[in-house]
Amino acid sequence: MSRARSSRPIPSDARTAPLFSGATGWIERIGLGGLALVRCLGLYGLILLGKARLDLPAFAASLRQAGLSILPAITLVTLVVGLILGHQSQSILARLDLPGLVLASGAYAVVMELVPILVGILVAGRAGVALAVRQASLAVSGEIDGLLINGIDPIRFTLGPVLLAMLLMSFAFTVWGSLVTLATAGLWLWGMAGLSPASLLGAFGRALAPGDLIEALLKPLLFSLLVALIATVNGTAAGRDPEGISQAATRTMIGAVAAILIADLLIVLFLR
Amino acid sequence: MQATPGAIADEPVLELSGVYQHVKGQMALSDIALSVPRGEWLLVTGPNGAGKTLLARLLLGLDRPSAGRIQLLGRALDGLEGDALKRLRADVGGVLQGGSLLESATVLDNLLLPLRDEPLSRSAMARAARLVMTLLNLDGLENQVPRALSLGQRRLVELARALIREPKILVWDGFSEGLDLPAMRETLGVLSNLSRNRGLTLVATDNRPDILGDEPHRIAVLARGRLLFTGTADELEDARDTNLALRAALAGTI
Repeated sequence: MSRARSSRPIPSDARTAPLFSGATGWIERIGLGGLALVRCLGLYGLILLGKARLDLPAFAASLRQAGLSILPAITLVTLVVGLILGHQSQSILARLDLPGLVLASGAYAVVMELVPILVGILVAGRAGVALAVRQASLAVSGEIDGLLINGIDPIRFTLGPVLLAMLLMSFAFTVWGSLVTLATAGLWLWGMAGLSPASLLGAFGRALAPGDLIEALLKPLLFSLLVALIATVNGTAAGRDPEGISQAATRTMIGAVAAILIADLLIVLFLR
Repeated sequence: MQATPGAIADEPVLELSGVYQHVKGQMALSDIALSVPRGEWLLVTGPNGAGKTLLARLLLGLDRPSAGRIQLLGRALDGLEGDALKRLRADVGGVLQGGSLLESATVLDNLLLPLRDEPLSRSAMARAARLVMTLLNLDGLENQVPRALSLGQRRLVELARALIREPKILVWDGFSEGLDLPAMRETLGVLSNLSRNRGLTLVATDNRPDILGDEPHRIAVLARGRLLFTGTADELEDARDTNLALRAALAGTI
């Protein structure tokens, strides 16, 4: 063996090698995402059967992260969206006296598209990135190894509690965000354009059929699932390299926003 | 292969044959063959970058070898997945170099981690935790988080966590890391008792070939991923006089 070779110490961990790189990396990433989902659903199944326990501290931390910490941001954003909607509707109504049409189309766009996408992006930015960073940090600090050698599936501390918290909070935020937006826009139009609450409610009711509402409420669940899986894959792909932590965070944010918009487009194109 | 006095029976609990490992296109372990009988202590030593940690990770099933066979407690490690691997891990304790404690959990919660899925009451778990804590002089640290502990205490908590399920084999990577001489002597005493009374097998790695002191054990010397020697401490003394590569490895120059 040459001297040059002896000057290169052997890496102590096979996982310092880049993960999911090369031409087939994307297939491996999809495979890992699928496996993570199956294991996570398996964990939920075991919890429902009483054969495993949900890690309550991790679940509570995830609820805080995916919930309370972004509630002010979601409220503020949807409030601003409501004001913009109210103001724009008032401008259009000044030129086109068709309140039913203007309000119905605005309400439909807000409830069906704008709020679910905004909630998805905010949840991705907070809970999704946090999940990717946690996953990568646990690997770098050796904690994942500690869980594995003690017979514990790391998913019980990462994706398991976080996905559940994201699903719950995304659902709640979509309802809350839609109500805040529509209420703000309604109050603006009532106060500034003199539209009665009854006509506003009537327009909103005509715009949104029960089927639309179900779709609007299911969408954020799909977005949360995509965000959680993207975060898990990126957090895992970071390996044990500390630099991988920041890469996992940025890749999760970009990947999650792209996935949310593409998923929404596919729903619009094929499921409506 | 000759067993040391600590070995209880000839039946190996750990067997490696033709094990290779590549990392980043580099040969990290090459044709490793080892056999460790029940109750025996094996110290894997060698200079930095020799492949000791990589070998420990293979034994714990954290990485998979590029080629070769690892047989642990009679079961081939490479084919095990899911519940079968989990069951095997119940019999294998691990202490990792650099640490692997959950930073957000208390010492007690870390100790109880391996018992999470056992059908034990909370009080039975707490009793088991108290027992290992007393054994390793960790009393009073239950509610501390790992970052509040010294490196030596963290290592001992990790050892306590590895011992709480009464494993048949303990893999300890970086044996002397963080431990001062008295702590090391006490720890060796505890492990020696477990070895005598329960047949605990120990595979430890360390840079120093004399780290296990007078305890009966075999030594394996690794350098650049190759196994240069296996034998007792006396045999190693004899061999280093005539084997230049071995002498260079033990001097840390290879």
